[in-house]
Amino acid sequence: MNKCINCGLCKVCPTFAVEKIESTSPRGKVILSKRGRIDKRIVRDFFKCTLCGLCEVVCPVNLKLVELWEKKREEFTEKKFAPLPIHKKLGEITLKYFNPYSGQPEKRANWLDFSVGNSKTLYFAGCTPSYKLQNIARSSARVLRELGVEFTILGSSEFCCGSPFLRTGQRNVGRLLFEKNFRAWQRAGIEEVITSCPGCFKTISHDYPKLARELGYEFEIEVKHISMVLADNIKGDLGIRATYHDPCHLGRHMNVYEEPRKVIRRAGIDLVEMERNREYSLCCGAGGGLRSQFREISISICEERIKEALSTGTNVLITSCPFCEYNFTRVGGKRIKVYDLSEIAEMTLFR
Amino acid sequence: MDVQTAFSKFTKIEVHPEILEIYRYDFSLIPKPLLKFVKKPLIVVQPNKIDDLVRILEICERFGLSIVPRGSATSAYGGCVPLKECVVIDFKRISNFEFRENVVVAESGAIWMEIERHANKIGKALRVYPTSALVSTVGGWIAQSGYGIGSLRYGGIGDNLEWIEVVDFKGLRIVKGRDLRHYVGAFGTTGLIARACIRLRENSEIRAKAIACKFSDAISRLENAYHATFKDSRLMQMEGYDAQDTLLLCSENVEGNELGEKMWARRLTPLRIASKGKRVFLEVAVPYEKATDFYENARRVAEGVEAIFSKDCVVFLGSFSANYKNIIKALKFVRIAEKLEGKVYATGMLFSHKSSKELRDFKRKVDPKDLLNPKKLEPNVFSRIIGVLERFL
Repeated sequence: MNKCINCGLCKVCPTFAVEKIESTSPRGKVILSKRGRIDKRIVRDFFKCTLCGLCEVVCPVNLKLVELWEKKREEFTEKKFAPLPIHKKLGEITLKYFNPYSGQPEKRANWLDFSVGNSKTLYFAGCTPSYKLQNIARSSARVLRELGVEFTILGSSEFCCGSPFLRTGQRNVGRLLFEKNFRAWQRAGIEEVITSCPGCFKTISHDYPKLARELGYEFEIEVKHISMVLADNIKGDLGIRATYHDPCHLGRHMNVYEEPRKVIRRAGIDLVEMERNREYSLCCGAGGGLRSQFREISISICEERIKEALSTGTNVLITSCPFCEYNFTRVGGKRIKVYDLSEIAEMTLFR
Repeated sequence: MDVQTAFSKFTKIEVHPEILEIYRYDFSLIPKPLLKFVKKPLIVVQPNKIDDLVRILEICERFGLSIVPRGSATSAYGGCVPLKECVVIDFKRISNFEFRENVVVAESGAIWMEIERHANKIGKALRVYPTSALVSTVGGWIAQSGYGIGSLRYGGIGDNLEWIEVVDFKGLRIVKGRDLRHYVGAFGTTGLIARACIRLRENSEIRAKAIACKFSDAISRLENAYHATFKDSRLMQMEGYDAQDTLLLCSENVEGNELGEKMWARRLTPLRIASKGKRVFLEVAVPYEKATDFYENARRVAEGVEAIFSKDCVVFLGSFSANYKNIIKALKFVRIAEKLEGKVYATGMLFSHKSSKELRDFKRKVDPKDLLNPKKLEPNVFSRIIGVLERFL
């Protein structure tokens, strides 16, 4: 934080573009952090952030800003200024149901339309595909089976990965969910996890090893986003024109840019890039707890991205994140057709 | 009626004491002991439309309040740093723009890269834009004046304005031709820039070629390029390239190469060398005929030198690690330029003592109460200190 040179380039922040007040800009938040005086208003402004990481991309001094924002949120929780009301509510729901949607745990795998056996490879659907966008879970599983990937699912023994809580300062909830998942994986002998959700992917790849160290576990599980499994295995001729939205957790956070594009191209899709793509991609506005707590800001950011997508001349948008799909679908309505990468793969394989 | 109520009737305001602290800063590096001379604004107002500016100025005049205009605050010259208790006018909400034939008419808070993105869709492009274009505003760059991407072919931003609309205590008016000199580079001390009509070019793909080249040979190799910069070997190394004096030529006609394309792609993410430690950056503009002399002298003072070639001068950027000893070196950099008929790139807060008499006289006419960005055309504590240090050079 002390390395910050106040250049202001981090004002590329999508939330700042909507809010336009310096306390929501990364530079403003660094200045406030150095001063250290907080109150409810300042804490709320700190939470007006999707943790998309665009600020890190442009930062000339390579500040680890996403990590800083997450640490500040934890600090606010310790000081009882956080979690914010809706984040807290979601935490309470998740401690009861092990997902933030109040979905019945025994119905978690209701999307599955064929049976799977035991395997050391787990398809970890994540909460949104399990309860809200079951099309993603279903397509992912069908495609994996079609490609001959042996996998299992854990149904009611799959729990929220904890990402929404690790991002919103509720590390205690994240830690508990890690332990539940990790123990379930140990019981099932899981050595590899494949997930459709970049939030789960980042959390299991980056946060779980840290949490494991904190709690004295050995964590040696390999994690893949489904795009990494599909990249070399799809071939088709869908013959449509589409654009691709880089999810922040998959692209900027995990550096996975080419695999989804490879899937799209190999599916025979004419890919038209948006002006802001790869590491400069504009966030969909849903992440970091923004959509749940500050819906209007989230919608404004999403609107901007939808406009950018439509300006490519196609209304077909492919992404590889359930949360992005959820936001684009809700905000875009009939203006835009949103597909998950797994659905594209399914269309290619089963056409 | 108090000031807060008066403003809140038609603009968004900010009065949170901690948040106002943020509005004391821009990119200028202010030593801690001197921070006490930077004032916290009384209030930040964010007008929604240009007419609001007239009302804001009326209120400020009525209450005798100083005004500091603020765009994205990415300048290193302290132009928007408040030196008196003041009302900060933040232009972010006045950011519309529309394209007309070969020009764009943009409100002051519009972001350069937003304009470029939309211009490209209709086959046009900005002739010049700053390296901070991802975030910096139209009004901010004009108020500072300067050179940027495209300046070799098209000159500075001042050379690419059809007109600007300014607001002062008499209201709004259009300014063009020679009168632009009273506003371009004046940091809002003579009137606030509300809108600008900016010339565009036909969009065409720019390719970039980087070649190993001594500075003394660079000027003869500019080849009518759209944009060209020179970086000395030390700067190249600090930026992660091979340590070699390098000329970057960008044009529709050059055959690009890998290093050139990489450097061109990074043009909007400047200041990367700051990752090696806090640095002071200082820029001077030097006539072409003295540029080689300047470079030979200045490279001994600075830890790295970059030259941005413009239509009528060469802008040199000197890089110095941030410590007190190097402030003297940075001032030497300016002194060398001045001896060779050059000048500091912008005045702002740090070099207000170098502003022109003509501009100061003009300000007295249009702003007799000295409410518009005060202490930026006359000596202030920062420029006085710099003035004293300059005597020891």
